[in-house]
Amino acid sequence: MFAHGYGCDQGMWRYVAPQFSEEFRILTFDHVGSGGSDSNAFDPAKYATLKGYAEDVIEIAREASVQGGIFVGHSVSAMIGVLAAIDAPELFDELVLVCPSPYFLNDGDYLGGFTQGDIDELLASMSNNYAAWSNTMAPAIIGNADRPELGQELASAFCRMDPAIAGTFARATFTSDNRPDLPKVSARTLVLQCRDDILAGEHIGAYVASQVPDASLVILDATGHCPNLSAPHAVNEAIKAFVGSP
Amino acid sequence: MTRPAATGLPTPDDLFENAPCGYLVLSEDGTIRMVNGTFCRWLSCARAELVGKRIAARLSVSSRIAYETHFMPLLRLGGASHEISFDFLDAGGGAFPASVSALFCPAGEQESSIRLTVFPAVQRRRYERGLLEAREASEVARHSELETGKLREQFVAVLGHDLRNPLAAVSAGVRALSREGTTERGARVLVLMEGSVQRMFGLIENILDFARARLGGGIVLTQCITDQLPAILSQVVDELRATNPDRVIDATFDLRTPVECDPSRIAQLVSNLLGNAISHGATDRPVRLSAVSTASGDLTVIVTNEGPTIPPDAMDRLFEPFVRGASSGYSEGLGLGLHIASEIAKAHDAVLDVTSEDGVTSFRLRLSSVRAS
Repeated sequence: MFAHGYGCDQGMWRYVAPQFSEEFRILTFDHVGSGGSDSNAFDPAKYATLKGYAEDVIEIAREASVQGGIFVGHSVSAMIGVLAAIDAPELFDELVLVCPSPYFLNDGDYLGGFTQGDIDELLASMSNNYAAWSNTMAPAIIGNADRPELGQELASAFCRMDPAIAGTFARATFTSDNRPDLPKVSARTLVLQCRDDILAGEHIGAYVASQVPDASLVILDATGHCPNLSAPHAVNEAIKAFVGSP
Repeated sequence: MTRPAATGLPTPDDLFENAPCGYLVLSEDGTIRMVNGTFCRWLSCARAELVGKRIAARLSVSSRIAYETHFMPLLRLGGASHEISFDFLDAGGGAFPASVSALFCPAGEQESSIRLTVFPAVQRRRYERGLLEAREASEVARHSELETGKLREQFVAVLGHDLRNPLAAVSAGVRALSREGTTERGARVLVLMEGSVQRMFGLIENILDFARARLGGGIVLTQCITDQLPAILSQVVDELRATNPDRVIDATFDLRTPVECDPSRIAQLVSNLLGNAISHGATDRPVRLSAVSTASGDLTVIVTNEGPTIPPDAMDRLFEPFVRGASSGYSEGLGLGLHIASEIAKAHDAVLDVTSEDGVTSFRLRLSSVRAS
């Protein structure tokens, strides 16, 4: 089961998920408010915290009769997966956390990378300047230049976020502190970490791996926050090695 | 193709360097490889401060997050990312609002790269902000208008309720005095008083119904199949006769077949129609009421008065609230009687219409036993 992070949709997994389709049953989905999801299903109260998203993960997994599966979560979905795995341990035997961050704020010795002022600025910009989000209709997907109608169809639902929902999701993403949850994870866990990730520094990956009881850390030869797009091969190799090992 | 320098056209280098937009070339990981003079000037940065650095370092925090979570994924998946709003940070740390478009160029003869154009977006931001503020303001205005309307109608409903209780006390007092026995003049006054009280009850009832209808509930019916209409309507007629002793009301009922309706609402409707006929009809002519139910349970009620013909332009507005006849000599009511009557008819899926010709005005209610609801 692959869960996308904040700001995009399940398209984030297009270079990764298909690599596992021979060996595994693959589940990808859009979080409510992202991509092709039904925005009407968005309940501000439910999705005010990551717990609401975790409930959805559990619901989807149960609907698909997942048992002892593997959950791969990118960015905020790493923590969503952690919450789901704690609440419904029977669903996932293994967790793959791609560029996770349990807390984005600096707190004493813990350096989440952002100050309260940074987060306030982000949340204010979501509501004041949301053209950045509502305008980001993607053009034709590569390779479909000769079929513009297909591109348009994809563009309309591609990496799109309802601006109002984007604000709520941002608040849930950037203000939740999931550090206390990490020690409760019983699933075998792999943490994938990039270099030069402005959202989740290397020390954060190390922190997550140190707090989850049965976790290992792999530093990918990749930069940025989205190795599933920038270095899918490295991501696939790391996941394959992890799920193939006892 | 080479052009002779004599044509005076700018060179490609000059086109890049002094383009009317910021122009950058990034490596795939977002490191700035080339940047034009326009962008350097806008950010008050020397070229050396930019080349070799990550472009994300030149973005505000919120733009940096949008860059990582949205812009780069779009670029990698879609090959292009257009009209993204970013705030760049200039040399002094000030924000430079910009609209950014980018193109991903896959590796070919050169290594893969990202080309990025940057346009100032100060005006556009201001415009967007203006739009947002206007929308918020109109939302607030709409909200407060709704609140005011709701408050007004609640006020009417509460007031109507509070008026009824003291009036009931007056009514009880009048009845008690009538039983005591009094002078002939006193008895006449008590009858008039009781008439005024009943009229007041009617007005309050109409105000309440109007407020209820406007509060969104509409007029609520308690329907049953009833054979009590003759008794109920006779009582309405008797009440009006009592309060208008100088007027003649001819009533004929043929209501042998029971009718499905809300009997108290039908009584209220008939009372309103009769009250209207008494107010506006010629004082020396009778008001006629006929109520007939057919074998299939259809009900027809007709209230007729003689008097001035209703002008055609007034006919259209007859059932609107607060419309009062101009010709009526005294102020009889709020102009809610016919409105409430038509609302009661509507609630029954019935038709209430009116004709006014040659000095005869006739209201007709047709209630079919076969109804949509």
